[in-house]
Amino acid sequence: MKNLRTQMQYYGTLYRSFFELCAAEALSFRTHFVLLIVVDLIFYGTMFGTAEVLYHHVEEIGPWNRSQFLFFVAFFLTVDQLHMTLFAMSFWEFSSDLRLGKLDFWLVKPAHILFIVFFRHIRVASLLLAPLVWGALIFSGIQVGLSPLSWCMLPLLVLLSLALLITMEILLSAAMFWTVENDGINFLRMQVQSVGRWPDFIYQYLFQKLFSVFIPILLVTSAPVHYLLQTRGEEVLFFLLAALLGMLFLVSKVWRYALLRYESASS
Amino acid sequence: MIFPSSLSRLLSYELKKWMATISLSITQRLAYKVNFFLLFLGPMLVFFLVQYNLWHSLFLFREGAPIGGYTRDEMIAYQGWVLVTALLTQGFHSRDLAQDIRLGRISSYLIYPFDFWQYHLGTFLGLQCIQLCIATTAVAALFFTGVFQELSATHLFLGVSVALCAGLLWYLIQYALGLFAFWIEQTWTLRVLFALIASFCSGAIFPLELLPEWAREIVLLSPFPYLTYVPVKTFLGAELDLPLPAPVALTFWSIVVWGCGKLLWNRGMRMYTAAGM
Repeated sequence: MKNLRTQMQYYGTLYRSFFELCAAEALSFRTHFVLLIVVDLIFYGTMFGTAEVLYHHVEEIGPWNRSQFLFFVAFFLTVDQLHMTLFAMSFWEFSSDLRLGKLDFWLVKPAHILFIVFFRHIRVASLLLAPLVWGALIFSGIQVGLSPLSWCMLPLLVLLSLALLITMEILLSAAMFWTVENDGINFLRMQVQSVGRWPDFIYQYLFQKLFSVFIPILLVTSAPVHYLLQTRGEEVLFFLLAALLGMLFLVSKVWRYALLRYESASS
Repeated sequence: MIFPSSLSRLLSYELKKWMATISLSITQRLAYKVNFFLLFLGPMLVFFLVQYNLWHSLFLFREGAPIGGYTRDEMIAYQGWVLVTALLTQGFHSRDLAQDIRLGRISSYLIYPFDFWQYHLGTFLGLQCIQLCIATTAVAALFFTGVFQELSATHLFLGVSVALCAGLLWYLIQYALGLFAFWIEQTWTLRVLFALIASFCSGAIFPLELLPEWAREIVLLSPFPYLTYVPVKTFLGAELDLPLPAPVALTFWSIVVWGCGKLLWNRGMRMYTAAGM
């Protein structure tokens, strides 16, 4: 127990150092800092704008009315905002580190390689938008009249969704160990994310199965929102948890195998 | 005075440089085929699949009732042409160009007998050759899978012409955005910003008829509809109610963006130092 606490403190201190470094770096390039905020705001605008345009012409999409769909969008953006702030940059840096042989330096550091690679780059600019997306989530939650249990489960489900998204992306990123040019894998990762921007019921049977079982991106947002809106039962939470555990297992196996495949570019 | 023989030699010399650059660009792009697929084709194919599923299900939920004047088949065909247009217009992005500036590699271009803009235009043309082949395959595939119910040679020819001009406008915009690397550390934010606005305002996600009247009138004054909506409607052979005819508007916007690029290049070169060269 004491050992675990010491470990937690150690990683906590490391994470604080990463954050301080990222904050100092972000504030050194102010134009880029502002542009990042503008990009995120425009992205949120296009997501809500698209939903508004569609509901201007239809009353319901599948089983959801406008308020329910906007809640889905708000939930997606909340997970996306956390992802953008805490992890997104790390995937791009990992691609570059791998190609340039910089991974050597991270492999000899006294911390778990996954922590160093995927927790090191924090996008401080996106952090400032957290009140906006959480505000939108709470507002849309009130509009759809979430039950007290749903309100209690909401933060937990956001974190579970984020965890599933990240483990899936780490698994996809392991493919970079086999490719020479890695940007394509990062683009694939982004495309997988774009599939999850829409609820599962818009996809036909084959795509639903593909993106729920093999690449479970549809479980990231659709499953928790179905549960919160009570359009489906508790079984969706079971699928979400099962997918997360499955992904964690695969990451631990594949990542170990991928590291064995690693040939430093510099040595 | 240049004699015809000298002129012909000069033209042949220039043509060789252009052809060599285009050929090099094609070889470079196809060197890593999986990466090329994931980088250039993957995003467009996934976008089409999402759009196809979305509109298919929307019409299914409404039991086939039209949306914004579009029937199910018309909307699916629209999305199919969006894919073809995207293949012909949106391949180029200015990442390499911005890196050339940021890493000081443009010093080489300053002493080469081939300008920086010529090299990148040649690269773009090389990519367009590949994209044209892929777009042709896509049209055939979409026709045989029933996404396109009918194909008209006239509309196809006009559509490809407009899409290629839109591709040039896309390239010029990307080129101008890449030149911001003279001033800012990272230009990818500008590219993403442009792509986000373009996807929403160009008619890629939904036809512009679905926008409210006031929003459509504003959007039609911008260059964005000419990147997707106008080429798609030309492919479909539909009548367009535009403030300016498509070729005139595309020429106008291309000249405006090219002028901005020229201005940015001149300003940027004044402050370029190429440290360590």
